[in-house]
Amino acid sequence: MLEDEEIILESVDLNIWFGSNQAIKDVDLKIAKNNITAIIGPSGCGKSTFLRALNRMNDVIPICSTEGEVRYQGKNIYSPDEDVVELRKKVGMVFQKPNPFPKSIYENIAYGPKIHGIKNKSKLDAIVEDTLKAAALWEEIEDRLHASAMGLSGGQQQRLCIARAMAVKPEIILMDEPCSALDPISTAKIEDLMIELKKDYTVVIVTHNMMQAARVSDYTAYFLLGELIEYEVTSYLFEYPKDKRTEDYITGRFG
Amino acid sequence: MVRKQFHIEMRHLKSEVLRMGEIAREAVTLAVDSLKTQDVEMADRVHILEEESDVLNLEINDRSMMLTATQQPVASDLRFVSTMMKISDSFERICDYAQKIARITKKSAHKPLLKPLIDIPRMSENIQKMIDLDLDAIKERDVRPTDQLEPMDDEIDALYVQIYNELLTFMLKDAATIDDATDLLFVARYLERIGDITCKVGSKIVFMVEGKRVWIK
Repeated sequence: MLEDEEIILESVDLNIWFGSNQAIKDVDLKIAKNNITAIIGPSGCGKSTFLRALNRMNDVIPICSTEGEVRYQGKNIYSPDEDVVELRKKVGMVFQKPNPFPKSIYENIAYGPKIHGIKNKSKLDAIVEDTLKAAALWEEIEDRLHASAMGLSGGQQQRLCIARAMAVKPEIILMDEPCSALDPISTAKIEDLMIELKKDYTVVIVTHNMMQAARVSDYTAYFLLGELIEYEVTSYLFEYPKDKRTEDYITGRFG
Repeated sequence: MVRKQFHIEMRHLKSEVLRMGEIAREAVTLAVDSLKTQDVEMADRVHILEEESDVLNLEINDRSMMLTATQQPVASDLRFVSTMMKISDSFERICDYAQKIARITKKSAHKPLLKPLIDIPRMSENIQKMIDLDLDAIKERDVRPTDQLEPMDDEIDALYVQIYNELLTFMLKDAATIDDATDLLFVARYLERIGDITCKVGSKIVFMVEGKRVWIK
């Protein structure tokens, strides 16, 4: 139960607008440390907007305005003294389409640690190896670390992107539909990886695939028209949803 | 409504389970009537119904598995599909008991009954009503009919104790009645078990409709 968890990230009265259009309405949601939290809901329900608010990715959208708070380890990340670069190091992100840099596999992983000041080659080598191992990718690509990342399969590219996010030692990894461009086998590998990751990280995933949420997550939040409708332990939400709107969505009576 | 095909399949599943319930009710009715009237042909019809229930139960199980695999039902749909599968098994077991009663009819049809049957047909009447209550609840996805199951099953239990004591008296008086009395005792026992099964079906319907576990009896 959420009451027994350590809360690492939390939104409080969060409201987000795109111009005059309100995308998120009064959302209070607590993210439990070392758990996977899934956010589900129909297109346009605000789930990606909410996810992007968790590491201030919406800041890059000029018409976007945010009210309320997002507290990371108790501190509001929207306060004026927040170092956004440092925040995004702690709260990393993986996107829908794999987007490796057009560089070697090695450089993709080493890039983040380098810009955060690590120059020592053997240290970087160790980070690359450890990270790729943690992302369950090492065995597949250890003999071609200096080949272009663009030559990897879609599933491998996505795991590389997860590894790249991990390389700067974040606490939280946000994933925005990380499997929607992947085949079922690659999806299964990413799902296995997510479950492995939660030993060391907190994962928040937005997914259109409800069964993926049911399979991998510990907690599930259902969003509709910018509101948080129901937030529950995943197995409860999928077996005995309390709100009729959740029931209608997950059973496919609405959508 | 989206997932139209899924809902068509679920309606189909429901009508098959309702048919299972009707077969079970008919099998019990015929089995007890055949015993009372010593009608062997009627007993044979129970065997045919029992075979029909075996086939239909497999179809229901297959359809439920197929729906689970292909449609991945959740929430009330998941409870519906899994409960239909379990209720179908329950109705199939009722048919098995009815068949056992029909066998006793065939075994004893050539000789007069130990006594005129009064309480055993009463048990059967209650069971028929209880199966109807289950079927109404399934049909309407409404738990209210299941409220009446428990008192009716209490009556069945009381009748069973009454029959047990009565047959015991026969057996104590005259050892030659032991064979026939034991047969009737088995019949009463089977009917008592069927009463319990209809209550369990009721509990499953409550879980299906409301998502909570209750224990009817």
